[in-house]
Amino acid sequence: MVAIQGFGYLGQALSSAEIVATMFGGGFVRRGQDKFVMSPGHYVIVLYAVAAELGLLSREELANYGKDAALLEAIGTERTPLFDLVCGSLGQGLSGAVGFALSARLKKSDARTYAFLSDGEMEEGQVWEAAMFAAHNKHRMGQLTVVIDANNSQVDGTVTFVTTIEPLVDKWRSFGWRVEEVDGHDVSALQAAFAKGPAAPEPLVIIARTEILGRMKSIPSTADGHFIKLDKDLERAVLKELEAALA
Amino acid sequence: MREPPFKTILKPYGEALLTLAQTRPEIVCLGADLTRQTETDIFRDAIPDRFLNVGMAEANMISIAGAMARDGHVVFVNTFGVFCTRRCYDQIAMSVAYPNVNVKIVGFMPGLSSPGGPSHQAIEDVALMRALPNMLVVDPADAIEVRQAVQAVADHPGPVYLRLKRGENPLIFDDDHKFSLKKAHVIRSHKSSDVCIIASGMMLPSALAATRILESKGLTVSIVNVPVIKPLDAETIIPIVQQSGVVVTAENHTIFGGLGSAVAEAMAEEGVPVPLHRVGIRDVFAESGSREYLFSKYGLSTQNILNAVWAGLHLNTPVPVAPVHKTTPGEYAPV
Repeated sequence: MVAIQGFGYLGQALSSAEIVATMFGGGFVRRGQDKFVMSPGHYVIVLYAVAAELGLLSREELANYGKDAALLEAIGTERTPLFDLVCGSLGQGLSGAVGFALSARLKKSDARTYAFLSDGEMEEGQVWEAAMFAAHNKHRMGQLTVVIDANNSQVDGTVTFVTTIEPLVDKWRSFGWRVEEVDGHDVSALQAAFAKGPAAPEPLVIIARTEILGRMKSIPSTADGHFIKLDKDLERAVLKELEAALA
Repeated sequence: MREPPFKTILKPYGEALLTLAQTRPEIVCLGADLTRQTETDIFRDAIPDRFLNVGMAEANMISIAGAMARDGHVVFVNTFGVFCTRRCYDQIAMSVAYPNVNVKIVGFMPGLSSPGGPSHQAIEDVALMRALPNMLVVDPADAIEVRQAVQAVADHPGPVYLRLKRGENPLIFDDDHKFSLKKAHVIRSHKSSDVCIIASGMMLPSALAATRILESKGLTVSIVNVPVIKPLDAETIIPIVQQSGVVVTAENHTIFGGLGSAVAEAMAEEGVPVPLHRVGIRDVFAESGSREYLFSKYGLSTQNILNAVWAGLHLNTPVPVAPVHKTTPGEYAPV
């Protein structure tokens, strides 16, 4: 998708690929039963890849990513197919997930709700409104699992350069959540963390430590991870490295 | 129609919502630490499973409501008008208006009906909500309309902003009054009139009082109650204003972006060559004070309507003086 256009949210896909693959490929998000919320809509590119892999979207559709009038827009919208809620304005997804969890409870459904958040979003106050609410003793939401892609990247640079959101583990724990901190590129560690979701009455947050360019060596560290531009040489180098990794 | 001073009743909204929810299990009620003030204490006590106090977190509440509505619920969100519009505008746009979901945002204490000063006075809420695609804006004038509006907005499959007076609500209309989300309510119209007054919400009593005085001075007056500001029923309004010497709108809201603006837009697009005077708050934040003090000081009185008519008709005679209504506790009269 990014190679065809020459630009796009490749960094987000690289930092979150293992996380999202684990959620959908590891049997955690049960399609048609559980709810899935993508809070940072810029990551929607990774959902398109997942949908194509699951046979829900055609490869041809992927080629139109980000083009005028395409079904697959670069940032999530109400037209984004297949997922329950894909936000564009940051910081609102966790509240949406809380709404789904409350709705499931009213319907006496055992559906789980999964929300994907990014670390940069932790700067938005609404995330903490929702975090406080979800862990309150009256509506402790054990059926809710949140994963945070902690890639230390936002538009103006690293998150640590812009402000201080750490210590994330302590913050979420102090809000009443169960916290798992894992290497977000380690599929086994992610699987073990997601498996703990249903085990307790408190909601679970998985802080997945990642790198914005994944562990790609072919992309120079000076690249703008938030919005990658690929020239032909770089595109060839990236594809070669990815194909070698999958071989 | 009843006569001022009007009798009042308490909790017309809270009772209507509870009655409706008892037969409609998909209705849920969310609040933000203003349960009694938003008349939802009776809902909380009767149907606790479907009542949720989110706490002082309006942004969170709106996004929760949006997701619950996506999942099939009809969600009534209740707090003061300032807090459920200004404070969470992006959330309303993204979680409610854009997905066009079944969330009813109920904002209490419209305009200068709150003594609490600018932090509590929703003077531009109609303008904000009108600007959002898919959003309906409803500003009922009395308890009869409030009751019917609850049922009507619940039946409307999409987002609505419902603007409600807190506390004592006047009984202006008779019990057989018909509130409609589609049609403006023509109280009186003439083939040709000197004045057309168009009012909504808490300004309707002043509009009625002004009409009575104008008629006593020999003027013919058409008067239209417009509880639904968006979509504006231009089809009803335009033929009446076309045959009037002057049009005066009256709203408990800033003159920018509310009823007066909506009427001005409709008149301009139809090319209606009649002068329009907007009675409302004139681009200023107010202050703390009683309704009587604030409505007089900030241009929301019967006298302001009379002044606008006199200016619009270029009359050289002295402007009639609006009488002061004496009220006893439990009664409501225009300022």
